Amino acid sequence: MKNHSGNIIKPEVDAIKIFSYTIMTIFAIMCLFPFYYIVVVSISDPQSVREGQLILWPKGFSLDAYKVTFQHARFYSSFQVSLIRTIIGTASGITLSSSLAYAVSRKYLRGRKFFTIFIVFTMLFNGGIIPTYLVVRYTGLIDTIWALILPNLMNTFNVVVLMNFFRSIPDEIEESAKIDGANDLIIFFRLMIPVAMPSIATITLFIAVYHWNALMDGILYINTPVKKPLQVYLNDIVVAGQTDDLFGDSSARWMPTLSLKTATIFASTLPILMVYPFLQRYFVKGIMVGSVKG
Amino acid sequence: MNINTVKNNQAVETVKNRPGYWRQLRKDIIKDRWLYVLLFPGVIWYIIYRYLPMLGLSIAFFDFNIVKGISGSKFVGFEYFRYIFFEHRNFWQLVENTLAINVIKLVFYFPIPIVFAIMLNEIMSVKYKRTLQTLIYLPHFVSWVVFGSIIITFLSPSEGIVNQIIEAFGGKSIFFMSEPKYFRWIVVASDIWKEAGWGTIIYLAAITGIDPQLYEAAKIDSANKLQLIRHITIPCISETIVVMLLLDIGRIMNVGFEQIYVLANPTVYSTGDVISTYVHRIGIGNGRFSLTTAIGLFQSVIGFSLLVTCNAISKKSFDKSLW
Repeated sequence: MKNHSGNIIKPEVDAIKIFSYTIMTIFAIMCLFPFYYIVVVSISDPQSVREGQLILWPKGFSLDAYKVTFQHARFYSSFQVSLIRTIIGTASGITLSSSLAYAVSRKYLRGRKFFTIFIVFTMLFNGGIIPTYLVVRYTGLIDTIWALILPNLMNTFNVVVLMNFFRSIPDEIEESAKIDGANDLIIFFRLMIPVAMPSIATITLFIAVYHWNALMDGILYINTPVKKPLQVYLNDIVVAGQTDDLFGDSSARWMPTLSLKTATIFASTLPILMVYPFLQRYFVKGIMVGSVKG
Repeated sequence: MNINTVKNNQAVETVKNRPGYWRQLRKDIIKDRWLYVLLFPGVIWYIIYRYLPMLGLSIAFFDFNIVKGISGSKFVGFEYFRYIFFEHRNFWQLVENTLAINVIKLVFYFPIPIVFAIMLNEIMSVKYKRTLQTLIYLPHFVSWVVFGSIIITFLSPSEGIVNQIIEAFGGKSIFFMSEPKYFRWIVVASDIWKEAGWGTIIYLAAITGIDPQLYEAAKIDSANKLQLIRHITIPCISETIVVMLLLDIGRIMNVGFEQIYVLANPTVYSTGDVISTYVHRIGIGNGRFSLTTAIGLFQSVIGFSLLVTCNAISKKSFDKSLW
């Protein structure tokens, strides 16, 4: 095939390749650096952090910043709120999204076109912040954990990805099950979910990450401090700098804010960093089949 | 129940008398009843949390009072729109800030994931490529609070690493986060840092779909690397590029709330306050529901019309469209 021109395509030292390797490696290091820096500062001796030294590798070692972080009651309450909303929100979100996506993906379903437009239209046009807030308010969800779960239970992009994945499953699987007398519920739960697992696992990860990271709904819908999710707490401590009650404890008074901030950031990002490597290889496969044409 | 019985019944029915539309509909619904059971909760959710708010947009035309509800509020027509267009002090500033950030994004951010995807595709070692992907997707999975606070920490005048470096070289430390002229650039740069890696995934998917024979054929014609990229890779992913571009244009009136909320502070509102942060602050904070809903409706209508228009243009001139 390529023998007669083989000498031409011989791997010449190719500038584009060298360039690609260099740029992508630099960018990858840049993406890792913030996390590295946070860890390094948070475990460094607070004394050197306080002196304002440039810290690029750990200076001394101390877990005092974490001790102060974990002493704060609001850290626990908000961590708990985020954990609960993530578990309930992800479980119900993926169930609802995949069953809706599956039903709409069936070609013979009456009204399929209508339902598809009904779903996709919400990507193009929406009510916006205030009307959604009013719906949440009139349905009595303000200041309850349901305000963090229900209004964003589903995401249309995710539904569309799942829909495309279900559509790509060959019809024969369903047909033969129907001949064996299985109804649509059995087919969906026993056959389709296992087949669609790469896609469902990916979307589950997306939903879980969304719930863990969501800030806006906590700001909009929750007023009581102990009911606020982790990201709102983090925003109060790290961005708005409300570290006063952290310093309430006299042992923490001398602690530089940078140590405390980095410890709080790392402690709240740890759950994501822990699951990320395991799920990472799943989603490349999962999203590629489903998406492309959003 | 059984598909065969259903089919038989249908056949018998057709012979007897042609079933009317409603009859057929009823029969289909009964046949697929479990599918409608699966469909139902999702549809209800969409009605409550996506379509009810669209109806709620109507409060832009009322002098809405949250206690009395819409029926107890006075209808004022386009009064609020007249007010925001002609009298509101910062409305046009908000529009400008929102557009400016998005235009900078379109110019500087948009091409980067495409270039990165092509570069990643050049990396031959599967293991190394996967490692790079793992690292560049990572920032996408942390929240804007975390990433934004890292940016703020880096740029802090007293303890930030950037200013420590500037000072180490004898410079004077800069108050990055309270200087309006830097703000939009910080927003776009931090967005590139956080999301450009993740953005490659859709283009990588498109590149994976290219038929390798195209490259083989071009190599036989002794095309070089750059020619391969220009004449095969880019044309083959152009559909994806157009789709992504259309979606971005449709979003030109939206800037992510969380990013701005975390990064902005009152000293940079002149360049950095965008529609969503303003709507939140004034609408919910000060209870000006009708005013901010009018602003939100304006934003949605512009976004929707832009998307529809650009899609029509793209369909006509390149035969590529979203739907």
